[in-house]
Amino acid sequence: MCGIAGVYAYHYAANAVDRGELRRIRDHMAARGPDGLGEWYSQDERVGLGHRRLTIIDLSERGAQPMTSADGKLVVTFNGEIYNYRQLRSSLEARGHTFRTQTDTEVLLQLYAQKGEAMVHDLRGMFAFGLWDVEKRALMLARDPYGIKPLYYADDGWTLRFASQVKALLAGGNVSRAPEPAGWVGFCLFGSVPEPFTTYQEIRALPAGSTLWVDRVGTHETKQYFSIADAYCRAEARSSPISDEDQQHGAREALLDSVRHHLVADVPVGAFLSSGIDSGALVGLMRDAGQQEIQTVTVAFEEFRGMREDEAPIAAETASRYGTQHTTRIVTEQEFRNDLPKILEAMDQPTIDGLNTWFVSKAARELGLKVAISGLGGDELFGGYPSFRDVPRWVRTLAIPGQIPALGDLTRCVMTGVFSQSLNPKAAGLLKYGGNYAGAYFLRRGLFMPWELPAVIGAEIARLGLRRLDPIRHIETLLKPKPRTSFGRVAALESSMYMRNQLLRDTDWASMAHSLEVRVPLVDVKLLSQLASITARNGSRSKHLLANSPRVPLPPKVIKRPKTGFATPIQSWLQRDNRIQEWRRVPALAANKCAWARRWAFQVSAARAAA
Amino acid sequence: MAGPGLRILALVTDAFGGNGGIAQYNRDFLSALATCDRVEDVIVLPRFSARSVGSLPTCVRQLRPVESKLAYSFAAFWTAVRYQPIDLVFCGHLFMAPLAAVIARALRVPLWVQVHGIEAWRELSAPQRRSVESAMMISSVSRHTRHRLLQWVGIDPARVKVLPNTVNPQYHPGPKPGYLIDRHAASGKKVLMTVSRLAGSEQYKGHDRVIRTLSRVLSHHPDTIYLIVGDGDDRLRLESLAVECGVVKNVQFTGWVPPEELPDYFRLADVFVMPSAGEGFGIVFLQAMATGVRVIGGSQDGSRDALCDGAIGTLVDPENCEELASAILAVLDNPARTGDRTTRFKPDLFREHLNAVHQSFSVQWRLARGAAVTARAMSVSNAFSSSRQD
Repeated sequence: MCGIAGVYAYHYAANAVDRGELRRIRDHMAARGPDGLGEWYSQDERVGLGHRRLTIIDLSERGAQPMTSADGKLVVTFNGEIYNYRQLRSSLEARGHTFRTQTDTEVLLQLYAQKGEAMVHDLRGMFAFGLWDVEKRALMLARDPYGIKPLYYADDGWTLRFASQVKALLAGGNVSRAPEPAGWVGFCLFGSVPEPFTTYQEIRALPAGSTLWVDRVGTHETKQYFSIADAYCRAEARSSPISDEDQQHGAREALLDSVRHHLVADVPVGAFLSSGIDSGALVGLMRDAGQQEIQTVTVAFEEFRGMREDEAPIAAETASRYGTQHTTRIVTEQEFRNDLPKILEAMDQPTIDGLNTWFVSKAARELGLKVAISGLGGDELFGGYPSFRDVPRWVRTLAIPGQIPALGDLTRCVMTGVFSQSLNPKAAGLLKYGGNYAGAYFLRRGLFMPWELPAVIGAEIARLGLRRLDPIRHIETLLKPKPRTSFGRVAALESSMYMRNQLLRDTDWASMAHSLEVRVPLVDVKLLSQLASITARNGSRSKHLLANSPRVPLPPKVIKRPKTGFATPIQSWLQRDNRIQEWRRVPALAANKCAWARRWAFQVSAARAAA
Repeated sequence: MAGPGLRILALVTDAFGGNGGIAQYNRDFLSALATCDRVEDVIVLPRFSARSVGSLPTCVRQLRPVESKLAYSFAAFWTAVRYQPIDLVFCGHLFMAPLAAVIARALRVPLWVQVHGIEAWRELSAPQRRSVESAMMISSVSRHTRHRLLQWVGIDPARVKVLPNTVNPQYHPGPKPGYLIDRHAASGKKVLMTVSRLAGSEQYKGHDRVIRTLSRVLSHHPDTIYLIVGDGDDRLRLESLAVECGVVKNVQFTGWVPPEELPDYFRLADVFVMPSAGEGFGIVFLQAMATGVRVIGGSQDGSRDALCDGAIGTLVDPENCEELASAILAVLDNPARTGDRTTRFKPDLFREHLNAVHQSFSVQWRLARGAAVTARAMSVSNAFSSSRQD
């Protein structure tokens, strides 16, 4: 887990790489890699790669990056973990490759030498890397299938720059800060910026599961090598009836295998623990995988002590059951107020979430952990969200009226005209959007509706952004190919939109700001391929497969606890914060029943606009 | 694409026989395109041609210009039909993009659109935007124009490549020519120079800013003259301004000069200064630098590319007269000539790069066409299988 950066002056008229710029980009990410730094330049100074290192595998200097292959033909700067690197290494050694280090980084180099670009299909893990092929004079950028690790690039037509963070690219000083309307519109519609857009026109995210080649001609179009929707389609195609017992056995084996792979490290691996099934079951499986000492950490709030929202007692019970070294970290309003400026600074792209991860990561780092396991992804994999029920239901009900031309728009105009501010904006859009999966999902996850945007971000940026993003079509592209089952469709959307753009991105910036690597065993391609056919069959009743997987069962309270989401008092803290009151000037946001996330989104937009 | 050799239809405002930066660019571009791998025939249909076309590069045919818009549209369609098979439509100006897009779509061949400067900086009309979005390749003369275009069109930025201006061999270093020293009484004087059209619609060039700065320059170097090369309807305004600023004795307007004298004019200058805010690229910067003259340009437009972000010339904020004056004085205080600094913009590099871009474009087109054929085949196969199920 690290920060990576690179500059490639590919155009014949471009100036050579400015070393100062590359260092500014790299060192803006110091928190991502506090244990070491490195840089590499080609002889002609047209290419420069940079790296900040957080040592987790092969702690020696031999693992330093950027790493060059023994023959000098390949150079890589890599962020992430390849969990199957030992198997890959063995098979490469069997083919005659010799290794100089114990790192997964060197496996990347040798695997590329063996298979070229197709190597990405063999990798199990989270990764983002830039690999310079000296003979081809070309740079390959690649990102893991789920998009766990970030990778952003900016191509100005002469020079390509890439980094793990948007703000790092800006820190270099040569990337335009012109806003991207589609990024801002996406943020307001979804609560996070949908890739490939960022809030800056010149900076793009390399989409999850994609590669990008850059050569003397410049950037080529990105190539997608993995699609979650496609994974569900394949799973559905090979689905065959199996008994409940076999399903449970298969799920346990697959989950245990994923957890075992995610424990590969030369430093201790801890875990975030809440009162829910996902994190609790993972801790149980860590035990089953043979980990003796486990440090777990839970965030709790004084305001919730003794209340239903307090996660600490149940988490402590789970910890006690699995014999972990458990810490409950209390976060106070004062601490939150003190941290808020740092949070906003670390927030790489605007988001309405990430605050919880900030504090739990901070707590883990205080305990000396460098790596922590998180239950993120459980709801997408096992259908834990209400969307798994609501979206198919809406589509069934509204499919026919939704096809009547202009009826949706007409209804929306009438309803917003008659009820004005008193109507939930989503209710007004029900007929317009609810008749198909992309639209219904948009309604379920949407923060603002398109017609609200002019008041939030201004009419011009809203117009341009909506045209460019085209939100419904954007969602539809994530359903190509379209899974047969409603579960597969919603799971593909939740994993490709909410989890990718919101949860994983927020986890990355909020944890890396504390130099903590968060691993997500429930976000794993192999696991998906093993479980998708089972979960697609069981639908939103799949969570029991996870709950029943640990050999020592979870405490009954964990299993019986109704799903609430992770509650925090942060909303009321923010509401009381005098620094965050600009939302009051927008009537729709000042209304009493307005959701806090909408106010927060407006606040973040306003702060960025002011900056 | 059809057959072993490619035939390209180029719709341009002007090219061979035309005046100005865009005509020059089109000449350089089409000459280089004609040398690209597999290109056999480039048919150029211009709207204007001011002077005789002269000899054309091998593989290039330029048809008679057609000025009227309507007649040009008919001529373009007729040319597309007459010279079948066409493998690629190249559109040399954004204004013609809708016409070029319709022809390309009718012929089912790829479209390549070239964008230059301010025409692509403002919000495009809907037909223009859709045409650009339908193009398989867009080439832009500078990073700045590329950036501005991408504000308005929803396309993958990877499809927009930068192909900068190039500078021809007649621009090379040399001594100040005696005949021009005599003509402009420039003996023993420092010469500031701007070369451009003096069009009322192009006041962004910044002549007025130089004139306003001149009194400060004269206070340090009283023997300085400012030579404004070029002509147009903005000349009167600039002449009045020179009077108003009290520098009329030090400002000379040369009027239009024949192209063959231009290299010598550049050699006459000590500083070439054009603090423009609206250059797509600014080929005159390259021409000046190729003759060894030091240059000052604006930092907010395509001039950044010509001056390579300040690596081979001085960039100033065009709106900041203080900065401009300081930059001029800095050069006049140390007026040593520099030799040709434009080696990176030479035609051979341009040709080589264009060939690489063209090859990449061809691969992209083949892939896109292959995907379309596959998609059609799949839809036929699906329709067939569903009809069997019915």
